[in-house]
Amino acid sequence: MSVAATRGAPYHRKPWLKRMADSSEPYLYSAPALILIVVVMLVPLVLGISYAFRDIQLLNPFSGGYIGLEHFRALGQDDAFYRALKNTLWWTGASVLLQFVFGLILALLLDRPFWGRGVVQALVFLPWAVPSFLAGLNWAWLFNPVIGPLPHWFFALGLMDEPGNLLSDPRYAMWGPIIANVWWGIPFFAITLLAALQAIPRDLYEAASIDGANWFQRFSSITLPFLAPTIAITVLLRTVWISNFADLIVVMTGGGPADRTQIVASYIFTQAFKRLDFGYASAIALVLLGLLMIYSMLIILLRQSLINKD
Amino acid sequence: MASIDIKNLKKAYGTFSVLHGIDLLIKDGEFIVLVGPSGCGKSTLLRMIAGLEDVSEGEIQIDGLRVNERHPKDRDIAMVFQSYALYPHMTVAENMSYSLRLRRAAKETTARAVSAASQKLGLDPFLERRPKALSGGQRQRVAMGRAIVRQPKAFLFDEPLSNLDARLREQMRAEIKKMHADLKATSIYVTHDQIEAMTLADRIVAMHGGVVQQVGSPLELYDRPANLFVAGFIGSPGMNFLEGRAEDGGLRLRDGSLVVLGALSKDLKGQEVTVGVRPEHVVLHHEGEGMSARVDLIEPTGFGIIVHLQLNGLPIKVFTLDRSALSCGPNIGVTLPAEHLHLFDAQGIRQGA
Repeated sequence: MSVAATRGAPYHRKPWLKRMADSSEPYLYSAPALILIVVVMLVPLVLGISYAFRDIQLLNPFSGGYIGLEHFRALGQDDAFYRALKNTLWWTGASVLLQFVFGLILALLLDRPFWGRGVVQALVFLPWAVPSFLAGLNWAWLFNPVIGPLPHWFFALGLMDEPGNLLSDPRYAMWGPIIANVWWGIPFFAITLLAALQAIPRDLYEAASIDGANWFQRFSSITLPFLAPTIAITVLLRTVWISNFADLIVVMTGGGPADRTQIVASYIFTQAFKRLDFGYASAIALVLLGLLMIYSMLIILLRQSLINKD
Repeated sequence: MASIDIKNLKKAYGTFSVLHGIDLLIKDGEFIVLVGPSGCGKSTLLRMIAGLEDVSEGEIQIDGLRVNERHPKDRDIAMVFQSYALYPHMTVAENMSYSLRLRRAAKETTARAVSAASQKLGLDPFLERRPKALSGGQRQRVAMGRAIVRQPKAFLFDEPLSNLDARLREQMRAEIKKMHADLKATSIYVTHDQIEAMTLADRIVAMHGGVVQQVGSPLELYDRPANLFVAGFIGSPGMNFLEGRAEDGGLRLRDGSLVVLGALSKDLKGQEVTVGVRPEHVVLHHEGEGMSARVDLIEPTGFGIIVHLQLNGLPIKVFTLDRSALSCGPNIGVTLPAEHLHLFDAQGIRQGA
């Protein structure tokens, strides 16, 4: 009807106010959400970014001035930062890989029916429910030869010359937080991969076994292709989270000994809350943000090209 | 191609018994249809032959070799699933060649087998497509193509047409029959659809409650059902049953009335029996001739007419091609011709010839 009316009177126009109201309608509807996002996300983000270009030191009352790219110039010559960058790669790579491998094995084991599976599934997912701070403390104590059993076991197995603290050995200290992180993060992979596994139709496996596929061939030609999208997205997510995840390191080693376990995220924490240099910490955070965004873009591009190939 | 010998095969899940001793010899090149209502154990039997279910007791032999302990992949059989079970991330060609690639067959052999199968099934235009981009009937064809490329000893079909619409089912049924005539492959076909069973089978195995009820050619089962179950299961509309006591001149029903049936076998006199008669064998007359019956319902199917009657309070279905039946009623005369009667004793076992 309205179509017919406009056609019939092409020169008749709605009043100005009405047109304004009509065209702004979608924006008004989405305004509450947009305002909320701007206030709680964009404002802090912009403030944080602005710190990177200012000299903000809590202990220096005369600081706060604009210094341009000075922080980044300092960062470029900061050996501790480069070491932290290298440590981040090592920490993230080893943690994600081990979490994924053990998570996948766990999911495959939990996928087949056995007596008491429900209870075991619930128990297996417990570490995920432990606060990271508590997990860190717990593992720090386990590695401590005075109260923890692990050094004595390692010694008995011949892995250590004496029951010492793994976390204070510069060569192997990084393994402490990595082991804690793997223990803590396996359930995430196990849950998501198990959900994906259970969505695979059983008769595909039956058809494949009749077609002559052994266990490994069924795994590689049915399970893996079905899991691939889940694997891609979970690995991407975990990589970003873990490279940002400093809790365990701060609690267990504080970045030591001699910065051997310092990752970029814990370095930011150290700069901001130990040396109270918020400006410099913000500059490092900005670099980390940039790196992670480049990484995410690469993964998204990869995913797109994989989907297009389908 | 191979013969399959099943000896006293039993299956139980814990204490719950599903198959109670199946004996069946399937000859080389035979098309066997396992038919029965849901839960009768026909699919379980098929899956045991395929090796997807363990054997609780008894033996399965393929070509004289015991295969109980063999993996599905070592039995050299192919199976078509109700859900088709196509590999969704593989193209049609990859789906069909998967088994040959696993066997590391030569590239040319594989390509030749796939192209022969796709030609036979009319799949040539779809070889590079994924199953997602195919219709139900095309997927069904791919599933069959996957089975025929590697020329297995036997084909197993697990209700392969159940997910198709009626028209397509009819068409695929004919194609399966043609394919079997072509390949002469030993086939075992599970269905609950008696039309599929009748049209496809060399021999039908009618199953009920985990027990084989009758084995025979389709017409044997139709004309001479061994027991009440087979008599009632095969045929549509189903056979009419009248229960009562055999007497001279007919059947004394529970309500005391006598149904005139001509001569019942003498040695059954005085016994509880069930008399069966197929709807197409009941003869309709004008009112006054034969026994009097009340017309309940008339269902024209286009091809013929199904008339539902009340005969002494018992429901009787009549199938007739005579269109004048459309205007019959409210009362009508019927006779149940003696030569078309099926007689079953109190245990439901067929009596007489």
